[in-house]
Amino acid sequence: MRLLKQNIEKKTGAGTATLLPEEPEDMWHAYNLIRPNDLLRASAVRKVVTESGSGSRSNERVHTMLTIRVTKLDFDPQAAQLHVSGRVAEENKVVKLGAFHTLDLELQRNFVLEKSEGWDSVALDMLKEAINQDAKAQLWAVIMKEGLANICLVTDHQTILRQRIETTLPRKRAGSTDHDKQLQKFFQITFDSLLRQIDLANPIPLLLASPAFTATQFQQFMKNQAASGNAKQLNGILAKTTVAQAASGHLHSLSEVLASPAVTSKLSDTKFARETQLVDRFFELMRKEDARAWYGPRECEHAVAQGAVGKGGGVLLISNGLFRSQEMEVRKRWVLLVDDVKGQGGEVRVLSSMHESGRRLESLGGIAVILTYPIEDLDELVGDGDEEDAPEMDQMNGDIARPNGVEGCVEHEDIDFL
Amino acid sequence: MQRVKNLGYDEDELYDNHDEYEQEDATAYTAEDKENFATLTPVIRAELDEAGVQVSDKDIEDALWHYYWDVGKSVSYLKNSRTPRLQQQSTEKSDKAKAKSKFDEAAERSAEKAVRTTMPPMFAADWFRNVSWTLVPSHVEGDLIPNEPVRPMPKLLGGSSKLAKLAEERRKKAATAAASQSESPAPNGSLSALERLSKPRDAKENEAPGPKVEPKKYPIRKKRDPTPPPREPTPPPPEPEEEKPDLRASPTAFGLALSTSPPCGLHPASMTLKDLLGSEVADDPFQGPSPDDTVLRAQQYSKGTPNKRRQSGVNGLAKKTEALKLNGTAASAPAQPKVRSRGLDVPKLWAEEKSRRKASAAFVVIGHVDHGKSTLMGRLLLDTGAVAQRDVDKYQKQATEMGKSSFALAWVMDTGTEERERGVTVDIAQHHFSTNSVDFTILDAPGHRDFVPNMIGGASMADMAVLVVDANQLESGMKGQTREHVLLAKAVGLKRIVVAVNKLDSTTPDAWSRSQFDGVKGEVLKFLRESGFAEQFVTVVPCSGLSGDNVAKAPKVSGPAAWVANTHPTLLKALEKSVIPDIDGATIRRPLRLQIADVFRGGVTNPVSVSGRISAGNAQTGDSVVVQPSGETATIKALEVNAEPCDYAFAGQICTLHLTDIDPIHLRTGDVVCAASHPVPVVKTFTAKIEALKSLLPQAMDVHLGRLHVAGGIKQLVSTVDSEGEVLKKKPRIVKAGQKAIVKVGVEDGVVVEVGDRVVLRAEGATVGFGVVDGTA
Repeated sequence: MRLLKQNIEKKTGAGTATLLPEEPEDMWHAYNLIRPNDLLRASAVRKVVTESGSGSRSNERVHTMLTIRVTKLDFDPQAAQLHVSGRVAEENKVVKLGAFHTLDLELQRNFVLEKSEGWDSVALDMLKEAINQDAKAQLWAVIMKEGLANICLVTDHQTILRQRIETTLPRKRAGSTDHDKQLQKFFQITFDSLLRQIDLANPIPLLLASPAFTATQFQQFMKNQAASGNAKQLNGILAKTTVAQAASGHLHSLSEVLASPAVTSKLSDTKFARETQLVDRFFELMRKEDARAWYGPRECEHAVAQGAVGKGGGVLLISNGLFRSQEMEVRKRWVLLVDDVKGQGGEVRVLSSMHESGRRLESLGGIAVILTYPIEDLDELVGDGDEEDAPEMDQMNGDIARPNGVEGCVEHEDIDFL
Repeated sequence: MQRVKNLGYDEDELYDNHDEYEQEDATAYTAEDKENFATLTPVIRAELDEAGVQVSDKDIEDALWHYYWDVGKSVSYLKNSRTPRLQQQSTEKSDKAKAKSKFDEAAERSAEKAVRTTMPPMFAADWFRNVSWTLVPSHVEGDLIPNEPVRPMPKLLGGSSKLAKLAEERRKKAATAAASQSESPAPNGSLSALERLSKPRDAKENEAPGPKVEPKKYPIRKKRDPTPPPREPTPPPPEPEEEKPDLRASPTAFGLALSTSPPCGLHPASMTLKDLLGSEVADDPFQGPSPDDTVLRAQQYSKGTPNKRRQSGVNGLAKKTEALKLNGTAASAPAQPKVRSRGLDVPKLWAEEKSRRKASAAFVVIGHVDHGKSTLMGRLLLDTGAVAQRDVDKYQKQATEMGKSSFALAWVMDTGTEERERGVTVDIAQHHFSTNSVDFTILDAPGHRDFVPNMIGGASMADMAVLVVDANQLESGMKGQTREHVLLAKAVGLKRIVVAVNKLDSTTPDAWSRSQFDGVKGEVLKFLRESGFAEQFVTVVPCSGLSGDNVAKAPKVSGPAAWVANTHPTLLKALEKSVIPDIDGATIRRPLRLQIADVFRGGVTNPVSVSGRISAGNAQTGDSVVVQPSGETATIKALEVNAEPCDYAFAGQICTLHLTDIDPIHLRTGDVVCAASHPVPVVKTFTAKIEALKSLLPQAMDVHLGRLHVAGGIKQLVSTVDSEGEVLKKKPRIVKAGQKAIVKVGVEDGVVVEVGDRVVLRAEGATVGFGVVDGTA
């Protein structure tokens, strides 16, 4: 994404930013930047019905610039498309004020964004990250076991499951080669699907991961295919292929694969490595029942209020899903928390809910803290405070439904962890 | 059939037969003949001696033979034969007789036929069982009326000749004579002997050419019946009444197949196919008009076809034959006839056969990788005769070529190419063997940590476990999969366990070290006790899979393993002792539940087959089932238990179901086959009471439900509980290792879960918790 023009005032956060999305990943950034109630100006195609004096109607498709006040966002990670619905905020000659319109943001077409409540710190950080041009690490990962393969694209901010191949393999059976035959067939299907996804002319690294030796077998299969001359460009990919061990063939095993040294050495994705490392550390502390690790919104807020997430190792891990809340108040609450931690000198990590490390965090409610000093029974302190407010930990779906009306990440159910 | 053949004879054949006949006559005297010779020769000789005539024995015998044991005639003949003139006459006479013998033969045969034309015992239903046209639906069933005029009695060529008349007469006479032979008392002794042979002898005198040559107007009759089976029943021909045989069309292939010869004297007024076959077809054939009739009638009305044609017998016949043909093929045409349930009362049958049935048990073989599980099982199968030595020798050769000769026995179980190349079991191997008292199913689990999911699937199908421990490497196992497998065996609900302390032949410093065995035994027992196995369900057996000592056979008394024989049973004995039937009638009466362990192509006739253990209820051929979560219905076409086809199967058995009416894409490993009347609901979340092996947080995990292995995770920690189920803490932050807790488990795709199912949770390649499904709301 390129920032073409901006007139944001540091103090109030008022002002606009003109952005040019250049690659599919930018749609993800736009999805995180644009919030309901924001003003968005972008080019649109609108069907205009005109009625002549004689009463005959004619339809016309008109290209025009529209400014809408956003009511709903719809992000399709598979196709990397973002649809923004809203009501027209500036009248022009083809559209009346208040008419509904859905803008489809397109690559290489700039848009102008103005925040309704001004650009807050989190939004500015997101903007900074979005326009960061370096370190665009990308890789294809096939995480598989016999009969199951998940083909996904791993980027800095997202893990996009592009295709899942599931076949039923017959078990081994004396005197039957059905298993071997079906396994070859399964490899063939996986291979064909992979070729459809990846860009052979411009290869990016490929990671094959599986328990036992399925990935090795698949790599051998690819080599055989390359040798048989079906796809010469395949050699470019084979040179960039890494095979790794995974605990299972399911997608959630990808996080540990990506964190393994064999893979991190090949991937210059330092951001991801740092995040994974922090989440791992958090889980490690939890297992050791160290009272410095806490998760859940109320616990974290309490800890931050006590000043326990400050200089000297205090870390706030927060999923960017929380900032996508439909309600202004909720977003403000998290922004405040982030600002608090920053003010105390602690480290804030906004993890992508579309990334493996972020998903692990989502299952804990999307927020966790590592404290500088242990606080025992933080949950009970919180629980005492407001019993009826006890967290309803239905976080696997990211629906952090709270009694106080807090709702987060509802609009990305389709890309959830589960 | 025979008669048809005879009718086909022509002159040449008759003469051929004549030659044969002559030869037979010259040489063959039967035992009976000889006896007659012996008794009658002295009598004749005595008479001739009185008359002073000298004759040889041969002459006497000949005379007797030619006069059919008539002593008087023979004597007079022999006396006369001494004078030259008479001799000449008699020679003439005998020549004459000989010249006529060809007719004799023919006439004799036809006479025989006339007497013998009783129907052979006919079990047409047997004969035509499984023939497609026996399935003709009742409304198109043909009415088959055999008709006498159709089959005229054999006639002579040019019926007016005297010879022919004579032959006819003689034949009839012979027939009546033969029929009344037994009743009519013999006039005298010599005649009675003669009587017995009267049939052939009469025929010999017969001058008729025999009813062999049939008029050419039935050309088809000339054909020999293609390979007539010895007891072919002779169903009546399909022709209905026919007035003018001359006009008849030649029989169709169908008619010929039904065969042609109606037995004489067997003409039921009306004989339906149903009577003939004894099948259960409804008894109102041709209730309505046949499809062809309908069409023809319609055509007639529309096109004004002359009515005459419809009345024509020839056409009517052709039409009916055609209709039969069509219906025959139509009945067999449906590719997969609906499998009909036999409606067995399986729980009742189970109860009835309970005492007679051999006990059966499935055991899963668990333990750390390379502790010799597969080899031990290969040995067990070899020594119980379930696998031939020949096969093992073959494996030995192949394994040696690959430089893995010690894996030969394991190859009995490890049939996959990858498994053999790498020398590691990958998936569960299933095998059967029987002892005198028990039918065993072996489920050989992989020991490698990467294949623990497969092991869980195998263990969930077993009744008990065999834990194989390498006597030399206990430590590695206790850190690795020996520990995990034992916990998983408990997790899937196994209670009985036989511990095989393996590789005792290679203990150091000396083989079969008793102290080492005792040490290992103590360790293992201690661990099993800690894991929650009751002591009375645990048996420890020392053995060696590679050498085979104390597996199925007790070790030699002289060797270093002698101490074993007195103190420990063999592995096989220990297994037999551990078998306790634990399926009760109530489980069998429940609706069917079978988790699919394997979906495969059972062969050309069974393209869709699934196998698995019936966890509840029963199944029989023809049952309609639902496969969840796809919700597709299927019909059980056939059942197999222990690779033997059977009519029904019940809870506790590992069986193969051959299904029809379902596409295999709806079948996945881990799906559940359930009774169509009681499908199990599909859920995405359920609560489970689990025991944590590691600290648990809400996080993504692999969820194992028997053979089913899906992505999912803990969604919520509901509460920690104590062993009595009392809630200790609601909404805990974390569940620590060793704690029991109620958790909410979510899965990515819908799964089939019932309260009481066993669930295992794994993360990062290790088992983190296991438990029982508590609720599926």
